[in-house]
Amino acid sequence: MKTLRRYSFPYLIWMILFVLVPTLFLVVLAFSDLSLYRLSAFSIRFDNFAIFQESYIITALSNSLIYAFVVTILSFLIGYPVAFYLTTLSEKTKKILIALLILPLWTNMLVRITAWERIFSPNSIFTDIFNVSIPILGTQAAVVIGLLALYLPFMVFPIFSVLDKLDPKMIEASKDLGANDTQTFIKVIFPLSLGGVVSGFIMTFLPSLTAFALPETLGWRRVPMIGMEIQKKFIIEGFQAFSINQGALISILIMLFSIASFILITRVDKEGETLI
Amino acid sequence: MINSRLMKKKSRQGAGLLLTILLFAFLYLPIIIIFIISINNSTRGYRFEGLTLKWYSELLFNFKTPSSDLVIFREAIFNTIWVALRSTIIATVLGTIFAIGINALDKKRRVRMMVLNNIPVVNPDIVTGISLMVVFTLISFSLGETTVLIAHVFFSIPYVVLSVVPKLKRLDPNMYEAALDLGCSRLCAIWKVIIPNISTGIIGGALIAFTMSIDDFVISYFTSGIDFENVSIWLYTKMKNPQNLNPTLYAYNVLIILITIGVILFISLKRDRKEKQK
Repeated sequence: MKTLRRYSFPYLIWMILFVLVPTLFLVVLAFSDLSLYRLSAFSIRFDNFAIFQESYIITALSNSLIYAFVVTILSFLIGYPVAFYLTTLSEKTKKILIALLILPLWTNMLVRITAWERIFSPNSIFTDIFNVSIPILGTQAAVVIGLLALYLPFMVFPIFSVLDKLDPKMIEASKDLGANDTQTFIKVIFPLSLGGVVSGFIMTFLPSLTAFALPETLGWRRVPMIGMEIQKKFIIEGFQAFSINQGALISILIMLFSIASFILITRVDKEGETLI
Repeated sequence: MINSRLMKKKSRQGAGLLLTILLFAFLYLPIIIIFIISINNSTRGYRFEGLTLKWYSELLFNFKTPSSDLVIFREAIFNTIWVALRSTIIATVLGTIFAIGINALDKKRRVRMMVLNNIPVVNPDIVTGISLMVVFTLISFSLGETTVLIAHVFFSIPYVVLSVVPKLKRLDPNMYEAALDLGCSRLCAIWKVIIPNISTGIIGGALIAFTMSIDDFVISYFTSGIDFENVSIWLYTKMKNPQNLNPTLYAYNVLIILITIGVILFISLKRDRKEKQK
């Protein structure tokens, strides 16, 4: 079996090429005047940091952090009880409900966003059929509800998979030792499900933080988020001087969140088994 | 006393059920809207004007008088599926090989490789997309279909690895050694002993890879340049004027869901039958 080790080596090279190299290069871009499209000698400069004083970046960044936080907490408050409830069902029902939970994810994300756009319009097929109107397009509420709809399942799956593997003997033992339901939950069940909770937090927080197509559509560009600014810096204004360098700096900031999440996830779940 | 505790348990169960129903309603609301628009006899889709299957037949059978929009949309669908098929095959083969390699490592290195493997899974799509765009520009690969294909292979491999490694862990390493002792070459032992025992993991990984590829937007968007459009990128350019979205888009989306359900049912039924035979 040991001779098979060599098959993992090309993967290391592959990951270095596509993860380490671009990260280092983004750092260089963020702290210099190098142009991505015209490589040449460059000098270190810290001027790019000036964007963090621009009000549009501050607004976008604080919006993103607040919405991502709200979405994650709401997902947890809804997702945990649902995941818990699912584990109490029979094997067969459990399987069917989990499959039904995955099913909406097979719909293109952008198509689902356009569907929410119709739901939130004052005059739409939703109003025509259900006779209710929720005209909140262009508000923060629309953005938060939309993000919740996209990423809530990613809170339920990891928590469910951890709770489902929990040994029922642990719960019995806790009850035999005189703990009531609440105590059992707080002292036994919840701590043992922490790995799933951490995965769930990360899998909802990071995508919500960096969303850009959703706030553009459901927020009508009135609700700026940091993903929209990154996209603008890299694509729309990509050929303007220093635009990509500023974009790289914002991306590095986002990467810090990913790295922090990463350290957290490797603490609670060494081989990433709760990720799928 | 016992009665009140039972009541408490019942009410807690009831609350769980209610919350679960609400969650499902919330997640399925947009899916229902998508389905209704796809069978609604109205182009703009503001009102419900009766049932029709014309959007489906327009999408699938109208080859004589397609509008220019439909021609572009079909090209985007073709690109999406063609990229998804190729990236799934490449990622499944490479991911399986890498997983076999990772599984053979000692524990410390294996955990390290798995951490590395999980970077693209945890990283937000926008970071992955920008990173890949930067690499391709750096090695002066012009952005287009090839770079999108490589990008899809890149984000799919970790899912294949994550789905194959647990199956490999359960495999008895002596089986592989036995095959070697009995005169099988290394490749033959992999093919005849390892692969058949991890096939469910491989198929599962391939399915995740395919569904991820077919629905990807962000990573494709950053790695595609201006010449290549898949369905998501095409849709994104049209989303600025959502009222111009044609119901054929929603018909396409419903078809994709139905096909995915069909494939998954087929595979799981086949697996159940196999397990029964055992």
